[in-house]
Order: sequence, then structure tokens, then C-alpha cells
Amino acid sequence: MKSLLAIFFFLSAGLCVNAAEINVYSHRHYDSDAVLFKKFSQQTGVQVNVIKGSADQLIQRLISEGKNSPADILLTVDAGRLHRAKEAGILQPVESETLSQNVPESMRDPEGSWYGMTVRARVIVYAKGRVNPEELSSYEDLASSKWRARLAVRSSSNIYNQSLLASIIAANGPAKALSWAKAVRKNMVRAPRGSDRDQARAVASGLADVAVINTYYLGILANSTSAADREVARKVGVFFPNQNGRGAHVNVSGGGVTRSSKNKKDAIRFLEFLTSSESQQTFSAVNYEYPVKIENNRSDLLKSWGSFKADKVNLSILGSRNPEAVKTFDRAGWE
Amino acid sequence: MKALLAVGEISKTFGANEQPAVDEVSFDCQKGEVLAIVGGSGSGKTTLLRLIAGLEIPELGEIKLGEVKTNGPGTFLPPEKRDCALVFQDYALFPNMTVEQNVFFGKTAKQRPEQVRKLLQLTKISDLAKRFPHQISGGEQQRVALVRALATQPSLLLLDEPLSHLDPELRDNVRAQLLNLFKETRTTALFVSHDTEDAMAMADRVIVMRQGQAIQVGTPAEVYSKPLDRYTALLFGKTNFVPLDLIPNAPHHFHDERSNKEVVSIRPHDWQVIEKDSDSSNSTISGKVSSVRYKGTHLELKIESESMCILANVETSRTVKEGDGVTLFPSFD
Amino acid sequence: MTEPGGSKTQNGTGLTLILTSPKRNLSNFGRGFLFKLNGWTLAALVIGLLIFIPMASVLWHLTSPSENWRHLEETVLTSYLKDSLILVLGTVFLSVVAGVSCAWLVSCCEFPGRKIFEWILVLPLAVPTFIAAYAYFDLLAIIEEKMIPLVIWTRTNSVEDLDTVIFLLDSLKYPVTMLVMASVLYPYVYLLARASFSRQGSQLIEAARTLGHSPRSIFFRVALPLARPAIVAGASLVVMETLNDYGAVKHFGISTFTNGIFRTWFALNDLSGALRLAALLMLFILSLLVVERLLRSGAKFEEKGNFARPFQRYRLGPTGATLAIACCLVPLTCGFLIPLGRLSLWASDSYRKILDSSFVELVANSLSLAVASSLLIVLTATFLAFAGRYFKSPGVHITNRLAILGYSVPGAVVAMAIMLVAGPLNLTLGILLTGSLLTLLFAYLIRFLAVAWQPVDSGMEKNCDLLNEASQSLKASPLVSLLKINLPLIRPSLWAAGLLVFVDTMKELPLTLILRPFNFETLSTRTYDLTNQAQIPESSVPAMCIILVVVFPVVWLNRKMEAPK
Repeated sequence: MKSLLAIFFFLSAGLCVNAAEINVYSHRHYDSDAVLFKKFSQQTGVQVNVIKGSADQLIQRLISEGKNSPADILLTVDAGRLHRAKEAGILQPVESETLSQNVPESMRDPEGSWYGMTVRARVIVYAKGRVNPEELSSYEDLASSKWRARLAVRSSSNIYNQSLLASIIAANGPAKALSWAKAVRKNMVRAPRGSDRDQARAVASGLADVAVINTYYLGILANSTSAADREVARKVGVFFPNQNGRGAHVNVSGGGVTRSSKNKKDAIRFLEFLTSSESQQTFSAVNYEYPVKIENNRSDLLKSWGSFKADKVNLSILGSRNPEAVKTFDRAGWE
Repeated sequence: MKALLAVGEISKTFGANEQPAVDEVSFDCQKGEVLAIVGGSGSGKTTLLRLIAGLEIPELGEIKLGEVKTNGPGTFLPPEKRDCALVFQDYALFPNMTVEQNVFFGKTAKQRPEQVRKLLQLTKISDLAKRFPHQISGGEQQRVALVRALATQPSLLLLDEPLSHLDPELRDNVRAQLLNLFKETRTTALFVSHDTEDAMAMADRVIVMRQGQAIQVGTPAEVYSKPLDRYTALLFGKTNFVPLDLIPNAPHHFHDERSNKEVVSIRPHDWQVIEKDSDSSNSTISGKVSSVRYKGTHLELKIESESMCILANVETSRTVKEGDGVTLFPSFD
Repeated sequence: MTEPGGSKTQNGTGLTLILTSPKRNLSNFGRGFLFKLNGWTLAALVIGLLIFIPMASVLWHLTSPSENWRHLEETVLTSYLKDSLILVLGTVFLSVVAGVSCAWLVSCCEFPGRKIFEWILVLPLAVPTFIAAYAYFDLLAIIEEKMIPLVIWTRTNSVEDLDTVIFLLDSLKYPVTMLVMASVLYPYVYLLARASFSRQGSQLIEAARTLGHSPRSIFFRVALPLARPAIVAGASLVVMETLNDYGAVKHFGISTFTNGIFRTWFALNDLSGALRLAALLMLFILSLLVVERLLRSGAKFEEKGNFARPFQRYRLGPTGATLAIACCLVPLTCGFLIPLGRLSLWASDSYRKILDSSFVELVANSLSLAVASSLLIVLTATFLAFAGRYFKSPGVHITNRLAILGYSVPGAVVAMAIMLVAGPLNLTLGILLTGSLLTLLFAYLIRFLAVAWQPVDSGMEKNCDLLNEASQSLKASPLVSLLKINLPLIRPSLWAAGLLVFVDTMKELPLTLILRPFNFETLSTRTYDLTNQAQIPESSVPAMCIILVVVFPVVWLNRKMEAPK
């Protein structure tokens, strides 16, 4: 009987939207977020309901829910997805003095449909000892035959890779990007599989010599409870590529207010809160991501990797070039 | 002459506290003999057959088949190695094989295709060779099962209720056919039946089973006319149990456990029925006719005497009526 | 698995029944169709069609234009096909080998521990494939590590052989995934093969023995051919489960069709292309079912439900018994002991971190969702089966067959179907259908109706058809017949149906993942979330909960199947 009551309670949950709460569709599943959401609720009295899922599914769901969607906020881990959400018309432009101050211009949508929250750099990691960092230079260099059977990169289904390739298409043109993808795929020691962390493990174990991963994965490894993970972090070095050119590829994790939002005021407050310097510190301390103002980074671990030059390409380009990038991967046979 | 099959004090119990299904049964079977095991349901007759086939493992006792000891202390010959074949009650034809594949399935059948073809002809199923079991009639299935078993040329053929699935009008015919076949193939056969008519018509000797025990072994005539107990007597048809003191000159009698008396089994057609007045000899019983039933070949009279109720058959030409007083005496030929 | 007490061919969760006996149902089509329209049949027709519409809307996209279709055909379609086929064939092969040999051993041989193995061998059924994959998450990495010296040696000494070595390394994922999947899917084959062996059991095998055949020859010439329909039925369940899986294949990097659907949908942002892929997959599975059906009707022989006699099992000697025990232990260890062992090892480290009040809610969510969907699905199945059988309505028979198609397609496709239909409804009706529990329950209904329908329908066929005719001639109302005759008589089937649905919903992932409401997490979505963040130790706690909750109904169902009547 109790379970039945519970069912009815949940049945109705989708239908009523309380004024004192905001509903968040989030792709982010990090401890830092849970901590911050709780803090926000304590400070403002606004309850935060979260539904986690992959960004793609959440966007699809927002589209199908239309104006009836209960969501107020969409959080994703990639600018490409934010751009797509904007294109699909499920985000609304918002203006806020605080947000404009908190988020640098390159890290937000020109019309204010979405704002970056954290920055992640996609870098090359190498096996300390086996690889001399002098040998490394750029993403383009990974296509060179000297890396034959020495490279590990994850699947092209992953959005980080898609955005990386989109930035390469933007920089070098589609034809060069395709031959790059083909060559890189050929240099891989094994078929793409697993997460960025698994690529770092492959480098540490000796299977591969270099890998392409997001920086915060190294942070997670270095602070893992597992000794083996910490060992992995010790064995690999970080290299920021293309420092003599356009800079290392960066991407944002961010969010926007949905068009269907019934509680726009609190939704904006929520975004302001997440980009506040206090929250930014939490992100870099707990989740090892760079603050949206990279230079404000105060985490020791992140400092230890050194400062770097970031690619200044407009992040919405990554979104508009995304389908092209996926097709290029398909043509290159990069699974 | 040495017996082909010798069963010695064989016992089998299913479950821990159950009554034995087969309880210290012993008998022999000579080469060329046709033996019937009869008994009511649950008497253990099928279990006995399966013990001989090797499909059950006995707790105690010995079985010898030809020169081979198949069961005994520490000995158990698996069914596939025994020189006998079993025809199952439901025939157990392989549904995924044709008639031909079925009859040639036996391990040794392939070595003598000519004989097997002959068997098929003999049983008139050669035309069915390419059909599947579900495409032929029950009687044909039975013959296929029979040929399949005979095709292995076993020294002993075991049959489990071979006629139970056949229509009454077919049965007589099939009995004769079976006997012919056994004769022509010189088969020693041991079959189980709940129908004593089958046993009497086909068997050289009959083993009567009751509660796992073999209570009587003998020719059909012996068992029919000289039963060793009430159960056996009834198994072979209607009969009257008359106390021995009423018919002291009876050639055969047994101790009846129910009445705790020596009794004589007298079949209804073994009575001579005479009108009341002709009361004479001392071994007679008199009574009153309580019912007359027309049975086609005869009249069945129910006669109430002082101590019991007696069934007696008389010719249909007799004019006996209910209420008539009659005198009975047995005719022992 | 099927309803207890069945002597009819027991074909698992019913999918194989999807296309049964159209001849009888269609015999008086037309004339009967209209005449049998009444409140009951009308309701059944509507419900059946309602359940079918989402699936139909997917199939309808088989030819819909997709901007990227050419691109898909030129680049990835073949590799989706290739990977799916390799995975399915390998998994089915391993499952059949393990399932059939274990089934033969426990039903026809005698060795120490046989009785325990008989039921313990079904336990891997409680382990969802995606959890099995996490339990073995590092298996591939460990094997790869063993190959590192070879890779390094080739890199420096024999560059021309690099292609071969890389190919070898790339191909490792296939056997590993097959092994992991088969080790938890073999029970489908095992259960059905075991039922078949023990049914044919006594008589035919005994007959073959008295005809002088060795166990080996009997297995290959009698038992195996006779069990073929059951084995094929079990194998087709394995095929569907393999194609349904999303977690395990993603983890091991195999691009199956299901993966391709997601990639096309999300990465290419091409819904119609994804739908077309889904429709193609659906078509493929449906044709597989038709083939299976034809194969079965070709083999005309009915297995007799003859359990009468205890079968004299082959007594194995010391060597044989050791081999038999080893043979049973291998799948059991791979499919249950190792996953559960590793999970409990991790759980013992992490349970303090994970077990809190929210975890209680998680368990409550999972349980109440599974119970509610079991109730809903069993009720619907009973109503549909009854309406079809009692009124002998050809129309309802057809809609019933259509309504149970959902089981044959991956959960992700069902979720897409729901989105496809619910989206426009959201907009026109102004009611929020997606993200409500009602929609999730409806999705479960689509996906798992067949699971309940099969035992309920065959239970009615066996126990009630004749009695329904009798009660009709006695002028009893349909409602009275349903309540007083049908329900009491098929109670065991209802239980079995309910438990089967319960097990399936507890294990379900992709559907729940896509359609669940706000803040609504179940044990399986939690497990997925945690493993997705590579928090393997933490994920072991909800994963273990699923297994432990599901083990009991699985064992119960197994016993019901073992001791019919």
C-alpha cells in the first residue's frame, strides 16, 4: 500500500512545479555539484531538483517536452551541446550583470543563451621516462608516423573528441582534418575504448606512450583512494599542445536557462551562484576543473601542471561544426 | 536345460519408507519360452521388467541373462550392454526419425539390413519406411517399436503392455500375429500385461505379481484353475469362493486369508445347476435364484444360499426364473 | 521460463510465441471480426493498439528520409552489422554450449552436488549484463597488459608486423565481451534445454539405451535433436538480450546496432536516421523470430509431458564426476561467483560511503516501480488474453500479437518510440507525458507485456478454454467466468508472470535511464551513474542490491519449473 502511495506521489511530481524550487537537467555527475547545489539551497531556500542523464538525451527530452517541460536549467559538459540546445530553441537568452562579470566573453554565448561554468583543457599526456616532452608539439603532430602503435585515445562517440576535431576542422579545414583523423586512428595501439582515465592507464602500463585526455581526469587519478590510480598519475606527464600556434584546445562545461522555465529569476540566481568565485574554487578543488577565468586558478595541483595558452576559437563554432566532426570520424574509421 | 534368464530374489524399493515395488522375486525363463507377468496396477510388474532391462538398479538379488550375470552384489551391467530389448508401452519411437531410421537405430541393427527388411515385411510396414511416427497409426507404431527391438536380435525380448493401446477388435488379431512372429524369429519373450486374456492367449507360463511379490508361477491353465490365493483367482475373472467343508472332494483348494478358511475357487461355468427337488449327493449347495441376467452366450444366475451368494452360468435354453429354488454342484473335469 | 505445471513446450518469455498459430485465429476472419465486437473485445482492441502504436511509429520510419542515411551506409552501417553479428553469434554459441551441456549433466547424469547445481546454475540470470561488464571491467585491460611486451618488441624490432599485432589487440574485445555476456545469459538456454531433456527424459533415452547406444551417441542422436526447438527458443532470448544491451558493449568498445542508434541520434543529431536504424534492427529481430517459428513448425514432433517415471541417471565414475562438476562450475563461477565476489569485495570497502537514507529511498523506488509494473502488466496481460480467448475474436488475437512485439526490441528503441509518440502529445494536449512515472510504466508495459502474456495465455489455453465454453453455455457472464473460473485456475501462471516481470524491471536500464521522472533514481540507474563516473567500488552496492533482490524470485521460478504438478 505504501509503495502505491509512493507511486502516486511520484506520478504527480512531474506535473506540479513549486515556486520555491528549480529543476535542473544535468549531464554533470560530480561530487562538486552536489555540494554546491546543497549550498545554494541553504543560502537561498530554493530547492534544487536534479535529473541526471546524458546531455543528448536530456536535450532530446527537452525538445519533446516543449513548453511544458519542468526544467529550468540545462547543464552540460560541452559547449557543442550547449550550442545545439540553443539551436533547438530550448534555451532562452538571459542578461545578468553578475554573469557578464563572472564569465569571460569567449566562454559564453554572445546572446546569453548559455554561460560557461568551468573550463577543461584537452591535453596530451606522455609516459615519463619513455617519452621526452621535446618530442611533442601539437595535436597535428600526433598524426606523424613516429607515434605508430604508441597512441591511445577514446571513442569518437565522446563529445570531447568531437569538439577537438571540430576545432581542428575550424583551424585546418575539413580535408586536412580527415587525413589527420585517419592517421591518428592508424597510430592507435588499440581500438578506442573506455574513458580518458583508461587512456592514462594505458600510458602508465606501457601499452601506449602518449594519450589525449582532459586535465581533470588526472586530478581524479592523483586524488583517488586507489593506490594504483595514484601511481598512474605519477607516471604520466602533462603536455599542453600547440603552444606556438593557436593554443591548447579548451572547452567549457556550462548551462543555460530553458525556454520553458517557470522560475527564471531563481534559475539566473543559480547560474550566478555557480559562477561566483566561491563556487569556482570548489569546482577546481573538488573536481580539478579550471575556473571559467583560467588565470584565477588557485588549486595547487592545477598550478603544478603550469600555465598555458588556450585556443581562443569561439566555442559556439565547436557546436556548429560538430556534425561534420562526427561524420569525419566515421569516414576515418575512428570508432 | 539351462535357463536363458534367471532372476533370483530381486528387490527394488523407491523412496526410503515405501513398500518394496519388487520384493524378492525369483523365476526362470527358458529359451524360446513366452512368459507373461500379470498383476493389478502397482503390483510391480513393470518395475520387474525394467529391472531386467537394466533401467532400474535393484537393491538386492541377482539376474543372469544367458551366460552373463547382469545384476548381483557389486555387479551392474548398464542397459546398453545387455542382450535384451524392450518394447515400451508408449512405443517410445523417436519423433525426429523416420520409421526406417527408427528401426535401424539399434546398435547392431545396421549389421543385418536384410533381416531387418524381412521383419518390416513380416509386420507389413515396409511401405511406411519414409514416414515419421506421427504420420502413422497406433497399430503401425506398435509394429515399428516391435521391429526396432527385434532388429537388434536380442536373446530376450521384453514387452511392456504390448496390447494396451489397441482396440479390442484388433487385439485377437495382433495376439496371433505376435505369437507367429515370436515363433518365426525364435524369440524368447517376456511381457507385462494387466489383461489376463493376453496372458492366457499368448504365454507359455504366467507369473502373477501382487504387491511386489511373485505369488504364483505356472501355465495359464494352472493359474486359472488352481489359483493359490483369492487375488490370483479374481485376476483371471469372476469366481466363487466356496469353503472346502462344503466340497470336501475338490481337487484344489487354498487358504483364504480373508475368511481364514480353506476355500475352493469355482468359476461360474463350472457349476451344474439342477431344479430344487433333485437334491441328492452330499457335495451340493442349494439356494434361491435372486437374479437372472442374459449374457448372450449364457445366463448368469445369482443364487442366494444359506451362507453365501453364488454366481453360476447356465445355457440360455434353460428356463430359470427369479425365485426358483435350485441345487448346485461343481463339476471337476 | 514459463508458467509452472506446463507440459506444453515451454518457450521462455514468450517471444517465440509472438507469431503463433495464425491459421486458427484467421480462420473466420471477416465474419467473426464484426460479430464479436462488444465492450470487452473493443477495450482489448483499443488497449492492444495503444501498446502497439509506439512500435508501429518506429517501424514506419523504415523508409523515412534521413539526411545522413547515405553517410551511414557508406561509413559505419557495415561495422554496426559486423560487430552486432560477431557479438551475437559468439554469445549465442557460448551460451548454447554452456547451457546445453550443463542441462544435460544435471538432468541425465548423477554426480555429487548435482541437485545443488540444478538450481544454482540459474543464478547468473539475476546479474544484468551491464553489471557483469562492470564486474569484469578490467578483464580486457589485464589481458592487454599481458600483451605489452609483445607490442613493445614489435614496435622496435618488427615494424611490418605491427598491423597484425594491433589487429590482434583490437580483436580481443570480442571474445571478452562474448564471454562476459554469455556467462550471464546462458541460463536462458540452460532452463529451456533442461526442461526439454527431463521431458523427453525417461522413455526415449531409455529406449535408446536398451537399443545399445552409449550416452554420447544418445546425446547427439536423440536428446540434442529433440531439444532443438527448446534450444533455439533459448538462443533467441539470448540474441535479443545481447542486442538489447547497451552498457556492456559500450564498456568494451563494441559498436553494435544499439550503440549506432544512440550515436546517430545524439552525435549526429539525426533522430530520423536513428529511427531508421532502430526500425532495421526491429525488422531483423522479427524476421529472426519468423525463421525460428518456421523451423519449429517444420519439426512437427510434440514433446510429451511425461514426467511419470523417475529417470535412471547415468552414474558417473570419479573422473566423469570431476569433469561434470568442473563443467558446471565454469559458467557458474564466471556468471555469478566472480561478479558477486568482486562486487562484495568492493562493497565491503564502500558501503559506509554509499549507504545512507537516500539509499533506502533508492531501494524503495526500485521495488515499488517493479511491483507496480508487475501488477499493471499482469493485469493487462490477463485482460487481453481473456478477451481474446473467451470471445475467440480474431481481431483481438491479432492486436495481442502486435502488442507483445515490444519485448523483441531493445529498451532504448522502446524509449525512442515513446518519445516519438509522447512528444507531439505533450504539445497538443498540454499535459506532460514524458518524465512522468505513468509514461515509464507504459514503456515497461510495451517492453515486458510479452513476458507476462505468454504464461498467462498458455495457462488459459490449458486450463480454461473448455471451461469458458461450458460457462458460456451456462449463460454465466464473462466477468463471472473471469473472476470465478479463469483467475483461480491460472493463479500459478499469474504468479510466474508477475515474478518474471519483476525480475526484468529490476534489471532494466536503458528505458529507465531515458524516461525516468525528476529526482527519480532506481538501483540500476544509480549503478549506471556511478560506474559512468568510474566509481566502481561505490557502484557495487546498488549492483549487489539488484542481484540479491532478483535472486529470490529467480530461484523460486526455477523450482516451479522443476517440479511441475
